[in-house]
Amino acid sequence: MTYYRPIIVFLLFGIVAPVLNEMGLLSDTTLNLWGRYFCFAIAALGIDLIWGYTGILSLCQAFFFCLGGYAIGMHMLLKTGTKGVYGSALPDFMVWNRVEQLPLFWEPFHTFTFAFILSLMIPAVIALIFGFLAFRSRLQGVYFAIITQALALGVWLIFLRNETMLGGTNGLTDFKTLLGFELADPASKRGLYIIAFVTLFVSYFLCQFMVKSKLGRVLIAVRDSEHRLRFIGYRVASYKVFIFVIASILGALGGLLYVPQTGIITPGRMDVQASIEMVVWVAVGGRGTLIGPIIGAVLVNLLYSFLTGAFPGTWLYFLGFLFIGVVLFFPDGLIGLRYRIKISSLKRFLPRRTPAPVAAESQD
Amino acid sequence: MKIKRHDFLRSICALVLILGASPIQAQIDHQLQLGRIASNNRDSITTAVGAISDAKDVAYYALMVALFNGELYLKNNELVIIGDMQEDDYGDTLAPLYTAYPKRHPILNDEGKPLIAPLIDLEEIDSNRRIRALIQPYLTQMEIFHPDSGKRRVAVETLGNRGGLGAVPMLRDALEKETDSGIQSLIRVALGKLELTHPDPEVRLNAAKALGELNNTFVLSFLHARVEPDASGNIAELDPAVQSEIRDTIQWLETFNQIMVVIQTAFVGLSLGSILILVALGLAVIYGQIGIINMAHGEFMMVGAYFTFIVQNICLIVLPVAYIDLFFPLSLPVAFLTAGGMGLLVESLIIRRLYNRPLESLLATWGISLILVQLARTIFGDLTAVKLPQILSGGFEVAPQVLLPYNRLFIIGLTVIILIGLIAFFYKTRFGLRLRAVTQNRGMSACMGIPTRRVDAIAFFMGTGIAGIAGWAMTLIGNVVPNMGQTYIVDAFLVVVVGGVGKILGTIVAGLGIGISNKVIEPFAEAVYAKVLILGLIILFLQLRPTGIFPAKGRDE
Repeated sequence: MTYYRPIIVFLLFGIVAPVLNEMGLLSDTTLNLWGRYFCFAIAALGIDLIWGYTGILSLCQAFFFCLGGYAIGMHMLLKTGTKGVYGSALPDFMVWNRVEQLPLFWEPFHTFTFAFILSLMIPAVIALIFGFLAFRSRLQGVYFAIITQALALGVWLIFLRNETMLGGTNGLTDFKTLLGFELADPASKRGLYIIAFVTLFVSYFLCQFMVKSKLGRVLIAVRDSEHRLRFIGYRVASYKVFIFVIASILGALGGLLYVPQTGIITPGRMDVQASIEMVVWVAVGGRGTLIGPIIGAVLVNLLYSFLTGAFPGTWLYFLGFLFIGVVLFFPDGLIGLRYRIKISSLKRFLPRRTPAPVAAESQD
Repeated sequence: MKIKRHDFLRSICALVLILGASPIQAQIDHQLQLGRIASNNRDSITTAVGAISDAKDVAYYALMVALFNGELYLKNNELVIIGDMQEDDYGDTLAPLYTAYPKRHPILNDEGKPLIAPLIDLEEIDSNRRIRALIQPYLTQMEIFHPDSGKRRVAVETLGNRGGLGAVPMLRDALEKETDSGIQSLIRVALGKLELTHPDPEVRLNAAKALGELNNTFVLSFLHARVEPDASGNIAELDPAVQSEIRDTIQWLETFNQIMVVIQTAFVGLSLGSILILVALGLAVIYGQIGIINMAHGEFMMVGAYFTFIVQNICLIVLPVAYIDLFFPLSLPVAFLTAGGMGLLVESLIIRRLYNRPLESLLATWGISLILVQLARTIFGDLTAVKLPQILSGGFEVAPQVLLPYNRLFIIGLTVIILIGLIAFFYKTRFGLRLRAVTQNRGMSACMGIPTRRVDAIAFFMGTGIAGIAGWAMTLIGNVVPNMGQTYIVDAFLVVVVGGVGKILGTIVAGLGIGISNKVIEPFAEAVYAKVLILGLIILFLQLRPTGIFPAKGRDE
């Protein structure tokens, strides 16, 4: 019934918007802003897979997001080369810190291919090790959430330091080119926007393919009754580690596309609150559906842009009430709300079509 | 008559000097020096100041200060010091007069009131930059007799480092007059250091022994310099007996130093551990009871701290100044009740609807914390501080340089008291029994007629109330700021996770373990890396005990 819908969406955001921008009818800023929202949406997809489908609350997605971002940021900073403020081959912040030689771990980021691979591989490996340790000892529910939050806090503190050679509080900035394209050029920005959108589009369908497959069924089973699944003979921990790794890669992918568009990445993007905010995007949009987190990420960030402009100082209040309100009044998010209305009014006419139902978390 | 008094005091002063000081002290002719100054000739004054500085005679302190500040005057050829100047009705400048030597006393007129003289009748003693530069070192040295104990400390240390043997009699004099035991010990250390350079080996030997008994580890580098070859290969101490004595002293002081480092680390770790326990206790009570990690726990602490601040401000208005410190005990129940009351409100409005949905309540309580932080920021601004009650300032000095601050000791004590109170509450009261019953088996307890919902609400009240007390105690060691709750909260979560559910003992062990290991690691790695290392250790620990140190037993898992 809805095969044409993705095509419309693709035409609208992937072709019409850039063309309007080209013609000068859509401002560069707006296009750039939406490009960033799509990056957030990719990271939110990851959270949805692990939280919405598998029922594991991970509070360190922003950390993976930033790992991807820092990796590409390091590459772009090295490409800035002697065009920086101090005219040194080293990044500017190293000149301030009186570093003479490029730290060894920066070396691989000279080439784009390596930087790209590393930006996805480092988060994946960290998630693999961390997830293996955590899930092997059957850390569950609140425990896992707390441990991931502590991880996010610890890494955030490390990134804030100057001696870790990651730019400290100021992060990485002053990027000039990526793959030879001038980042300041509107055409490059348009290109980045299109890449972000297409990546999101493709990720969505890959995720859809995954959750519709047998694997997806197992994930939902992990969420709804882990014990039974284990008794049947599934290796629950392996599934959990797998989905944790996939989520981290999606997070890193988001960060990777985000940083060239904003031109800066700081540890502020990965503090404890950043991760938990990402969870709320998913909750607002509707977890357990794949379109939900995308809508949530875009909507909450649109509201953020609007509120911080129109009513400064109210954003944290709003966010706080959003957290409480979503959880209390529409646990299935906007998508759930839509379905709920539809079902109650049109129940008789519609076949039973509900999103992958979110069962109340059983106490087992 | 005045001259007579001077003579009398001077003879006493001379007596003191003869009795209390060693023969090295240069004797100077006081009459001559005073006369030189009174001559108001710059060259004479310079000579006199030089002589007085060399003699290190404390009796000239007031005079020298006055000369330095340009407050020294002549009245009928008598040296006087003027006080704060004032103007009379005719526009003349008047000033009260003080004696200049040997002490600064008000000069009285015939009616026994302070004598106030017009400035015009007096002749100012001129001083220039050169004279002031001559006076400066004398003043610094003489500060060992200054009424302010902080200045005395500094002066003693300066003398010990740079005074030379000439400062020894002065220091002995100061030692006799000193009442503060800490400074007394500092003076002894300074004396020991100076006497190590004495020509007589006997004196040096005694000095080395004395330094060994004083347990002051700051002299270590100085001692090393005495017995080890310097850059050109010379050893300062040549006498073998003295050398071995110094080496013994060094050895003992190094051992002592290590003991002190252990004590210090243990104390700091215990302090951090008790803070973590205090913060985590309320969290653990709630988690044990309803399985919810209250993300806004730190913000209930903040509420307690802000109400302490409010009570303080009310007390500043209401109470007389002498009783102002009473605000601190007064604010304890306020902090407990307000934080607990807010907790109860939050429980009935929000948490109650989220039982059995622990992950979602995590998000909701995070939302509460955001709102509370922003609310505090709107109402109070960004920085407010609660004054440290007088009785808790300072600390217990185990040895020189090893101070255990009273506020930290107080928090350790408070944690112990609250733990005892909580255990008594859990195991000795009827309500505690119900609480434990509900924790063990909710369904069965409900069947037995225990109002589980009300028990939950009261557990929440207790947990947030204890957070309020923690916030109250936190005002002792930091500022009251809107995000103060965030400082310890993630560590407190980890304490609960490591400690296991529903057991106070688990919280205690985990809190102390995390606190102390943090402080043990810190000397080797920066605080940040210590934190990350601890997290790694916790993850590894959870491999062995996934449900904490003391897991809940039973089938209701």
